[in-house]
Amino acid sequence: MRIPSSYLVAAAALWFPDLPLATAAEKLVIPHFEEETVSAGIDSLYTGEWEYTVGGGVASFDCNDDGFADLLFAGGSSPAKFYRNKSSRAGPLRFELHNSGLEFEAVTGAYPLDIDSDSKTDLVLLRVGENLLMRGLGGCRFERANEKWGFDGGDAWSTAFAAVWERGANWPTLAIGNYIDRFEEITPWGSCTDNWLHRPRTTERGTRPMFARPIALRPSFCALSMLFSDWDRSGVPTLRISNDREYYKGGQEQLWRLEPNLPPRLYAAEDGWKPLRIWGMGIASYDLNFDGFPEYFLTSMADNKLQSLSGPEAHGPKPTYADIAFAKGVTAHRPYAGGDLRPSTAWHAQFEDVNNDGLVDLFVAKGNVAEMPDFAQKDPSNLLLQTGAGKFEEVGERAGVVNFYRARGAALTDLNLDGLLDLVIVNRWDRARLWRNNSRNAGRWIELRLQQPGPNRDAIGAWLEVRSGSKAMRREITAGGGHASGQNGWWHFGLADAREAEVRVIWPDGAVSPWQRANSDRFYTFRKHETLRPWE
Amino acid sequence: MYALCRMIAVLLIVLAWDARIDAGAAEKPSEKVLHSWYQLTLELVRHTPTYSPPVASRAFAYLGTTAFEAVATGSEELISLAGQLTELGTVPRRTRGQTYNDAVVINAAMALAAQRLFNNTGPSGQRALRKLEAKLGAEMSAGLMPDVVARSQSHGRDVARHVLAWSRSDGGSAVENMGFPLEYKLSEGAARWVPTSTIAQQQKPLLPRWGENRSFAMPNAAACDLPAPPHYSEEKSSPFYREALEVYDLSRNLSAEQRAIARFWSDDPMLSPTPPGHWISIALQILKRENASLERSVELLARLGVTLADSFIACWETKYQYDLLRPVTYIRRVIDPKWESLISTPPFPEYPSGHSTQSAAAAAVLTFMFGDNYEFEDKTHERDGIVPRRFSSFWAAAEEAAISRLYGGIHFRTAIKRGLEQGRCVSTFALALRMRR
Repeated sequence: MRIPSSYLVAAAALWFPDLPLATAAEKLVIPHFEEETVSAGIDSLYTGEWEYTVGGGVASFDCNDDGFADLLFAGGSSPAKFYRNKSSRAGPLRFELHNSGLEFEAVTGAYPLDIDSDSKTDLVLLRVGENLLMRGLGGCRFERANEKWGFDGGDAWSTAFAAVWERGANWPTLAIGNYIDRFEEITPWGSCTDNWLHRPRTTERGTRPMFARPIALRPSFCALSMLFSDWDRSGVPTLRISNDREYYKGGQEQLWRLEPNLPPRLYAAEDGWKPLRIWGMGIASYDLNFDGFPEYFLTSMADNKLQSLSGPEAHGPKPTYADIAFAKGVTAHRPYAGGDLRPSTAWHAQFEDVNNDGLVDLFVAKGNVAEMPDFAQKDPSNLLLQTGAGKFEEVGERAGVVNFYRARGAALTDLNLDGLLDLVIVNRWDRARLWRNNSRNAGRWIELRLQQPGPNRDAIGAWLEVRSGSKAMRREITAGGGHASGQNGWWHFGLADAREAEVRVIWPDGAVSPWQRANSDRFYTFRKHETLRPWE
Repeated sequence: MYALCRMIAVLLIVLAWDARIDAGAAEKPSEKVLHSWYQLTLELVRHTPTYSPPVASRAFAYLGTTAFEAVATGSEELISLAGQLTELGTVPRRTRGQTYNDAVVINAAMALAAQRLFNNTGPSGQRALRKLEAKLGAEMSAGLMPDVVARSQSHGRDVARHVLAWSRSDGGSAVENMGFPLEYKLSEGAARWVPTSTIAQQQKPLLPRWGENRSFAMPNAAACDLPAPPHYSEEKSSPFYREALEVYDLSRNLSAEQRAIARFWSDDPMLSPTPPGHWISIALQILKRENASLERSVELLARLGVTLADSFIACWETKYQYDLLRPVTYIRRVIDPKWESLISTPPFPEYPSGHSTQSAAAAAVLTFMFGDNYEFEDKTHERDGIVPRRFSSFWAAAEEAAISRLYGGIHFRTAIKRGLEQGRCVSTFALALRMRR
């Protein structure tokens, strides 16, 4: 069953903006992070010159079924490095370098995804050169699967990724974003190479599923982030692409619609899509205003954008977005610490609740492209806490995460399973950094993992809802976005002081599970057609 | 026999004519170097974040002066601009009796000038600057004596260094925060400019002190001052209200052609070579079409660069003198609170229209060089998917550029009309430069 838009709008009227958020903390709770890079044993650099100006991702996923997120770091011109998580519950962060079979050079980004739905997470490695699909073998070992899965890795400067299972498909659709023609030395501007859409190949019943030959998503405008997201809750996946205006001619941000068995269709002005031209570098999404539809944060240079649906809805919503970044206090256009007042350069972005107060916060990785003198060299990443009034407040300095490296990809993820989201950042030409969230005054929480039988085991495309008091937090389960960095595993919700919450899932096929009660400060596995199961 | 001779003669004439056309069509080395550097700088203007239109115009003035002086030192036709442009001292000369190669001289001069003027561009731009210098350097030096190459490179760099040293004292060399001052107190009063977007960086206006910069051929920034714009009023019978209502009414009834015109001349920073770059692009297209000589090419690029830069100095001086609000502010306040302009409203005061000022000045220079009623097609935005437009003259193009700001909803009519007047005034100083013997 698909949730009708009218229901969602009615729900929005209930929750936003006039009613108080029952569990939102009245006083802003500042989280506390402590850097543990060295003690955790992380020693990874993102290196390389021009071809590695962008990229620099990290993948966070569990590849040995112990519940702890392991980490793969892109290395650029250096080999990628894989670290197995050896932390203990709520303890200091500990990682061990492990030979996984993922140690390739020229990796710009990495996204975990269970492509063949065998319950072993696979990896998509974006590269300067041939992209690789790495099949998970269990025990954090991987093998190349391009040939086995019919995947054409191409030869480009790949910089963005997103995945979805189209309705009824038993195999995922992968979108790969490519940057400029790296062989164009004097006039790279206007040389954006094609993005690719790898859809499943039509196969006979009983035969092994594979990818079809990739379709060129033309026009392509130098993508630096992609995200499959159901913007209108219609059940039809759409692909948002954030493009770097530095290199395209006649380009803009893009939204493609993927109807089953039809060629992708680009939304245009007549659909309500308004041109936006930014130095697009990263996408984060979340339903911030509780209206059932996702907002999208787009990173750029100087001002960043926060888009919220604003189109008329007489005949269903149109993809017309208003920029509410200024109103919400998330333009994050200039450093807040370090004394450098030049404009910022933003990359990875992620919405998560870092203080467990029931309101998602926003992390934005920052760092100069290289040595661009008009932009801040000391450009600290942002940690913007959402306040009860729906605005955001910068707390990076107070939270202890100020750093002045050239950040690129990142992940907010619970590395020691204590219900507090930790932070890992990849830096160009510098060591990746790790911070443990050891806040003592944070609220309660739950973390959930979705599983469904058959294809798409991790339920990519589902909506996970957690209700506490009079509000419901919703997150779309996605694979992609950010900047070259992907995650797979636990989905985290802050609950403020609530001791329990209700949870339900709108599964990718539209089926809606009944609300189920869950206690706070616990991990749960949510299997389709089953009751919520605690995980220990 | 006579018929045969006549046939052979005709054939020879045809062959000779074809050969002439072929020779003309092939770009000569010096012109190739000049055009290559200009094409790259048009890209760098688009892709260097500090390059708003005023900053771009300044770069074109110094690039034009550099190219002109690098050629003039070896030309019997051209006269140096030293002593004519404000505070430009005597330019280094070539050594008598020594051999120089113009293509190598220009490559060295333009490479150094572009590298310094765009030293803040991104990694791709830096790489392109290095690669182009190396590629053209190797190509132009092939077959030349090493001492000629070295001497020519040295002279080109000396000329560029001289021009660059002159540029540093004009007040426009440092652009902070992409041109938006970190501290600026907005003027008070209903008629005054207020921010028109929710972009945090643009809550202060662009380059409020640009009008204080040293001018080039124009004696000073106030040399082409304009009378005050219509008096601010919200009375429906007032001229000010009527001008705003014209913008509003027009925006609701724009024809497809008017929309196309607004977009063609929109020339947004970071998405185009900006308005001054648009006119440089037109000039390059005309020079190629005319197969213009090196001397004629550098004369045009210098006059045009200088008048574009003077236009922005004059225009900015006037803009901040009157500090007038934009149509979007007035219309939302008085007529329709939900109104939006067709194109993005630039983040600085309204009066006069900068595109009008600089387009008139550019049209005057191009008309001076190529005459009235010169028909041409403008392909500046072709690679961006914008259809080329044809014009019956440079003035027709300038007037279309000017009125495009009314169609776009970002200027009142008076700002356009007076902007054109200001541009005509500014151009007289560039046209008065003595550049040929």
